[in-house]
Amino acid sequence: MLDKPKPTTADIVKKCEDLFTDLSFAAAREWKEEKPGRIVVGFLPYYAPRELVHAAGGLPLGIFGGGDQLEVIHGDAYYQSYICRIPRSTIELGVTGRLDFVDGMMFPSICDVIRNLSGMWKIMFPTKGSRYIDLPHNFVDDLGGEFYRSELKETCDWLSGMTGRPITDDAIRASIAVFNENRRLIREIYQLRSDQPWNVPSSELYVLLRAGMVIPVEDHNRILREYLDSVREQTRPMKDNSRVVICGMFCEQPPLNLIKSIELSGCYIVDDDFILVTRWENSDVRLEGDPLANLASAYLHDSKSTPPKYEPDEAKKGLYLVDSVRKNRAEGVIFAMTSFCDPGLLERPILQSVLKKHGIPQIAFKYAENSGQMQPIREQAGTFADSIKLWSGA
Amino acid sequence: MPITAGIDVGTGAIKIAVFDVQGDRETCLAKRVDRLRQRDPLKTAELMYDEVLTSAGLKRADIAYCATTGEGEALEFHTGHFYSMTTHARGAIYLRPESRVALDTGALHGRAIRMDDRGKVLNYKMTSQCASGSGQFLENIARYLGIAQDEIGSLSKQADNPEKVSGICAVLAETDVINMVSRGITAPNILKGIHESMADRLAKLLKTIGGLDGAIQMTGGLALDAGLVEAMKEAMVREKVNVPIETHPDAIFAGAIGAALWGAFRHDKLTRMAEAA
Repeated sequence: MLDKPKPTTADIVKKCEDLFTDLSFAAAREWKEEKPGRIVVGFLPYYAPRELVHAAGGLPLGIFGGGDQLEVIHGDAYYQSYICRIPRSTIELGVTGRLDFVDGMMFPSICDVIRNLSGMWKIMFPTKGSRYIDLPHNFVDDLGGEFYRSELKETCDWLSGMTGRPITDDAIRASIAVFNENRRLIREIYQLRSDQPWNVPSSELYVLLRAGMVIPVEDHNRILREYLDSVREQTRPMKDNSRVVICGMFCEQPPLNLIKSIELSGCYIVDDDFILVTRWENSDVRLEGDPLANLASAYLHDSKSTPPKYEPDEAKKGLYLVDSVRKNRAEGVIFAMTSFCDPGLLERPILQSVLKKHGIPQIAFKYAENSGQMQPIREQAGTFADSIKLWSGA
Repeated sequence: MPITAGIDVGTGAIKIAVFDVQGDRETCLAKRVDRLRQRDPLKTAELMYDEVLTSAGLKRADIAYCATTGEGEALEFHTGHFYSMTTHARGAIYLRPESRVALDTGALHGRAIRMDDRGKVLNYKMTSQCASGSGQFLENIARYLGIAQDEIGSLSKQADNPEKVSGICAVLAETDVINMVSRGITAPNILKGIHESMADRLAKLLKTIGGLDGAIQMTGGLALDAGLVEAMKEAMVREKVNVPIETHPDAIFAGAIGAALWGAFRHDKLTRMAEAA
């Protein structure tokens, strides 16, 4: 029997791009139809306990807005003009029937707009589940930890209500294990990109992560392994680009062309906050003991810092960006945040002042998921890259 | 110090310059400009690059830093890419060391760039996306009038009663020109009117960047259009700006020259950083 040919990097990237740009969610629909009783549970950026949906035998489905291909007609009627685009396009996905196969939706507590969307979802789609995931703002185990554990427990009960089956601790442990593997593979790709950004373009890494939002994690793990194998076998030309960290893309998604434009303008992105749910925890979540307590503990003590996440110690605010710059040998930070994003844009001046104090060059611009005009961004990122290359450092 | 190359992939033409940089001595070894004429820009640039190197007795391996600018970032073999205003600023300083402003007038846009004596960009402004006032627009008009591009400048200078066209919109301007032709306005007066309209826009652009000093070096393809240069000088008098407008026979190479020289600068910096590490 002939061996199946190994997919090339281009094959993998094309497949992932097709998956994430498919707003009919055909892959997730097929998965659900394969076996009666399966549930699909949507979640919005930036974090959701996907392990629990998996443990319930369901498919966690990332609903990351409508991108630059969806025309928002109905969604605009629900929001004022000073609200970002992701809730509008999410409503558009809902009212146009694209999410009719989704059994429930999880809305993380990232901002007021998304919190309100969770309530609107309940009213608009009363036969579907809607759960607001209240994330802790207190990082002490017996306060925030206990609170978050009870949130996770209630989420399990909510999911059990959909399937009619309880979720066992063993099932959660098994799910944590498979997501640990997913996070390990993604950390490996991030490390490879930091070491050799010319071989792992961020536009490729981004589509790899996005594809993982609409397929089972086991399939995503296979794709990530294939990508790692394939990308390690090839060498692409190294350019004299500036190494930058991107901050601000944690919720409403950038158009793929925006990431490509930043790269084309002479920047190697060596760290970012793309699809944070895929690498929220910095290391493996413990498998021994109470799995819900382990997930809560990982959230409190071993998770990524990002503008929407509360930082109780003011002295530590923004230092994660400085650490990222140093660890990844970056030369500057690009704040690319969504227009009207409260958690991002209110935090940005604080982060900028921290970077300024540490002498780290930076620029800032805003985008929306349907931004089409890239020339101003290329201009800004290109001149930033030039200024780093010519005038910063030695 | 290295031999470096600059490749400026523009909308209408590709410009290449090869330099040998020894300390402060910057020697141009070869240069070439070629219009695109519907050809694939990247393939044309690669072909031209090899031909220019061959003409200078060089191979790709002899080039320590191949810098692209303009739309050249997609060329696979380049070492680094610099943004157009960065390269035009440096190119202007090379062409005229006393210049502190580069006025880049190419096929698609106009850019006013203020820089210091090293070529570091201090401020800049660019014309809007409208095609009016661009080289491409001027080429279209020349085609309607049935004249060759290299005749534009000399014909414009023969004007005795120029007719102004719309300075805002290329579509309106083209309509103006059609009306002028039907009214029997001569080609020199039409061309001078277009030049004056373009010069007014560019002069206003220059005023918005402020701090005009030294000399204003015109760069890009339109810097070789004698009619536009003359109209620019007149517009600066009208705008009461007392800074000389200058051009140079190699003004079209400013982007490529700047890219090659920044490539040498960057190569030197990277070498020093590697030695220090």
